[in-house]
Amino acid sequence: MEALVKLPPLARRGFIRSLAAGSILGPALIGDLLAETEAPSSDPFAPKPPHFPAKAKRVIFLFLSGGVSHVDTFDPKPRLFADHGKEVKADHPEIKDRPGYERIFLKRPQWTFAPHGRCGTEVSTLFPHTAECVDDLAVIRSMHTSHSNHYNATLGMHTGSFAFARPSIGAWMSYGLGTENRNLPSFMVLAPAMPYAGTQVWASDFLPAEHQGTWVVPGAEPIRNIRRRAASARCQELELAALRERDSTFLANRPGDPLLAARLRSFETAFGMQTEVPDTFDLTRESDATLALYGLKRGQTTGFGWQCLAARRLVERGVRFVELIDTGSSGNWDSHGDMMDHARLAKNVDQPIAGLLKDLKSRGLLDDTLVVWTTEFGRTPFNNTAEAKGREHHNWAFTSWLAGAGVRPGIVYGATDEYGMRAVEQPVHVNDFHATILHLMGFDHERLTYRHSGRDFRLTDVAGKVVGGLLA
Amino acid sequence: MSLTLGLLSPGSFPRAHAGTVNDPATATHGIPAPRHWAFEPISDPAPPRISPAEVRTPIDAFLLAQLRATPADVAPRADRRTLIRRVTYDLTGLPPTPPEVDAFVSDASPGAFAAVVGRLLASPAYGERWGRKWLDVVRYADTAGENSDHPAPHAWRYRNWVIDAFNRDLPYDEFLRQQIAGDLIAAGAPPQRRADLVIATGYLAIARRFGHDTDKDMHLTHEDVIDTVGKSVLGLTLGCARCHDHKYDPVSMKDYYGLYGIFASTRFSFPGCEPKQQPRDLVPLIPQAEADALIQPWRDSLAQLDAELKANTNAPDRRERQSRRDLLAAQEPRFDVAYAAVEGTPADAKLQRRGDPEQPSDAVPRKNLTLLGGQPLHDPETSGRLELARWLTDPANPLTARVMANRIWQGHFGVGLVTTPNDFGTRGAPPSNPRLLDHLASAFIRSGWSVKALHREILLSAAYQRASSIEARPTPTATQRPAATTTTVPTLRAVKNAADDTNTFPRRRLEAEEIRDTLLTLSGDLDPTPGAAHPFPPEKDWSFTQHSPFKAIYESNRRSVYLMTQRIQRHPFLALFDGPDPNASTPHRDSSTVPTQALYFLNDPFFHARSEGLAKRLLALPEQERIPASHRWCFQRKPTPEELKSAARFLADYRRALDGTAPEQIDLATWSAYARTLLASSELLHLD
Repeated sequence: MEALVKLPPLARRGFIRSLAAGSILGPALIGDLLAETEAPSSDPFAPKPPHFPAKAKRVIFLFLSGGVSHVDTFDPKPRLFADHGKEVKADHPEIKDRPGYERIFLKRPQWTFAPHGRCGTEVSTLFPHTAECVDDLAVIRSMHTSHSNHYNATLGMHTGSFAFARPSIGAWMSYGLGTENRNLPSFMVLAPAMPYAGTQVWASDFLPAEHQGTWVVPGAEPIRNIRRRAASARCQELELAALRERDSTFLANRPGDPLLAARLRSFETAFGMQTEVPDTFDLTRESDATLALYGLKRGQTTGFGWQCLAARRLVERGVRFVELIDTGSSGNWDSHGDMMDHARLAKNVDQPIAGLLKDLKSRGLLDDTLVVWTTEFGRTPFNNTAEAKGREHHNWAFTSWLAGAGVRPGIVYGATDEYGMRAVEQPVHVNDFHATILHLMGFDHERLTYRHSGRDFRLTDVAGKVVGGLLA
Repeated sequence: MSLTLGLLSPGSFPRAHAGTVNDPATATHGIPAPRHWAFEPISDPAPPRISPAEVRTPIDAFLLAQLRATPADVAPRADRRTLIRRVTYDLTGLPPTPPEVDAFVSDASPGAFAAVVGRLLASPAYGERWGRKWLDVVRYADTAGENSDHPAPHAWRYRNWVIDAFNRDLPYDEFLRQQIAGDLIAAGAPPQRRADLVIATGYLAIARRFGHDTDKDMHLTHEDVIDTVGKSVLGLTLGCARCHDHKYDPVSMKDYYGLYGIFASTRFSFPGCEPKQQPRDLVPLIPQAEADALIQPWRDSLAQLDAELKANTNAPDRRERQSRRDLLAAQEPRFDVAYAAVEGTPADAKLQRRGDPEQPSDAVPRKNLTLLGGQPLHDPETSGRLELARWLTDPANPLTARVMANRIWQGHFGVGLVTTPNDFGTRGAPPSNPRLLDHLASAFIRSGWSVKALHREILLSAAYQRASSIEARPTPTATQRPAATTTTVPTLRAVKNAADDTNTFPRRRLEAEEIRDTLLTLSGDLDPTPGAAHPFPPEKDWSFTQHSPFKAIYESNRRSVYLMTQRIQRHPFLALFDGPDPNASTPHRDSSTVPTQALYFLNDPFFHARSEGLAKRLLALPEQERIPASHRWCFQRKPTPEELKSAARFLADYRRALDGTAPEQIDLATWSAYARTLLASSELLHLD
């Protein structure tokens, strides 16, 4: 791991050559200049220890946008099959004062469940590949959240706040732990489209701006401005050397200014990123077997399989928090019209997710990487007719799972009632989920705080309990 | 409520600040912390008597008096080139032009700097820079922020009103009163003032909207308004009292819901939301009666035609009527409207237990904050906004003037005398120089709340005109570090929070808007005309949803304050360079340094286009004038001999590296590359 997080020798040589190319200041002098100016305490990315030792050093956060149905995927409800068509009553936020929803009826799942692995955790036929990994998962069947709108529930799952802008969990992690690789951002979000609630999902808000997420769009230019625009590498080296000379002189006349020194170094980092980012996202040196594991075709540069394999390559390089969003605010898991949409969507992510878990495990990365799988809410076990093809938003209950560093593997935690309506056993609110993730990373969620507007803010606001049963 | 405004004699300030009252352990719910400095009356301390050498203005005397016990080195006065660059960016957000620099550098008269300050304060660019600071504080945006982020196409009038208000130095107390109750002031004002006064209430209307059907989540919008009024005007975190009495400041839930009733009695323009796409309650800029007189006959004719159409079965008749109807429908009487606030239905609001509107308790009479006197409404038949506006701007109110004086100080020095500009409560930072803060606040009120007068007083101080480092040299030489020319005479330190012991002017990076506006200026592309409405899609076509929210980026060569800013999607440039948060009050900009900023300077198309623009301007000059001109334009100085040599070497090397490029393109490519090394430089992007 350690060797991987350093600037690749090629990039570093290139940069130093670019310095020497026209600089009147030798590299040694520049090194002195930086060393004397940069106090480590002023560096927002300096690696920091958490509150207590923890196995997990980094997080891969899989977010399936739109609301994945729990009763069709990870939460088997035999009674829901049996009582299909039965009228029920519920004081449910999605039917309150809604015309046409005066009466509601149970609706049976369209997929069957079977136990898998040594642990016997039941998974539906929607996720056959993930089912092979259940011995590594802690499946939480008793998740619940505070809002039944996509926007608010998505914001809540990312920031702990269901209405107001707050820092994202990835920003908190970057703030708390710093980074292991300065050539890559500490918090990266791989998403083909903008999610609900927009850029608030990865915002740093009142945390220092350095910790905001960097949006990576699968495709030709995954990070804005990563492609060299100068005519040739030689041209860019000349420009950088001239800029370096100018800025070094400016700094030399203003010794002791850490911001100027940090800025000087940021160009070195950016130069490295131009090589490192494409290199990270270049899957050509992955073996056929690895590509097959993720269900990827050689040469493919988009799709959830690409996002998953890119995530492995990012955590290998020391990126602290990698979020993968399955699609964005449309064309997602929001299957109001027809639950059969879930089949297409699951097929798209199932093998990549299982591939990621297996790949991390075989490389030993699962020992110090936490994998989180979640959505913003579940889907109703009922609809306004039993024949309705779709399901509505359901914040009373849904399923998430954790895997990897520090997680108790092969368990099912909590339970919903007989129809999957409410989380009744060991309910886990989003705030508890966040508290647990922070705990797995070595943080006491009540102590990871930031003073803003006279108050010490935290990811879990004024709530949240660590779920001990999920810990190894 | 034992703390009353009259209780403490003015002379008692500033004994009690910081220390014990800031200890959370002694704070109890809703009970005032005794003698918190910010809640005591503003004093008007006489400037200390200090030897005149270092004292240009009373500000210097206050700073020096506090420093006496701890003598420190102090920087000399900055050189003229540094000064004019500093003050021009500071007041206008733009670089000084070469003639402006030359005029100041060669003006030996004692009033030369004051003349520059006067010129800059009178320039329209002043309001574009300082208006932006207020827009930061009031979380201005051009969209509503609800789930589908509906555009607010008329919000720009408020944005321009703020800019204009700074430019005409609208007294700050009146500035606040108009924003809170402009429509009510208009009722007693000449009709030609109505439009302006109505637009001012955009301050309230631009509040965030929440949820799917925003009418159902107005309690959150009211919280957003109360929170923003508290922070922007009073430096108080009132939002804390929504669910419980404030833990640290003397603000109770009754105070909160006393204010809540005032805003709930107000009708805000409605921006549209997913289930109700069309906006409503936009406020005509002509009197409402005139607007009604225009629109009613049109509505009546339309209804008449509809009735006739319904009754008539004769085909040719129907066709004729239908075409008349279509024509008429397209001729809806038009008049300008504002995104603004007017009176709603006056009523006291019920206290919401734990801030939950589903758990209403007893109604709370609308009233002033207990902290500010607690007066009940005189006229409960109004919303109470006019009275609130007067309470907030009462000169006896200890917070309003202090908070704004501190913002202006922070605007000039980067750090406030109070380092928590939105929180003057017991959890905020105490002032580093309480007497100076009170001097500024009382002078501010005495001047008739003139923001420009306060600028002048600060800018003419010796403190503002210091060099940014003790060792700084007027013109940096390329390699040698200047010998230390430090003076050890104990004098002033310029600014500073208590933790920082330097005595220099704090260097700062340009803010996002300054960077973009500078690039546009230097490439010759800046359009200096004020922005107006954004090219939003027409309202009748709106069908925004949370799945497909409104999203747009509108390119423009106008100043960046006029860029369209959205709430759920940040403008990529502003987000990259620490622009304001459009969702919450931004009292202070970050100044982050991240590699993605460096990538911008390496590869961004907009940046490359500006470099090419600068290159073309340089290529229009005779060859030997280009490098000197580039330094004059970008850095307001001549190049050093080393820089001339380096530039020549760079240009030659770059030409060689371009081997194979078409000859007619080589000049432009080479000079564009050279321009990039100027436009991306720390010297361009930082102010000493």
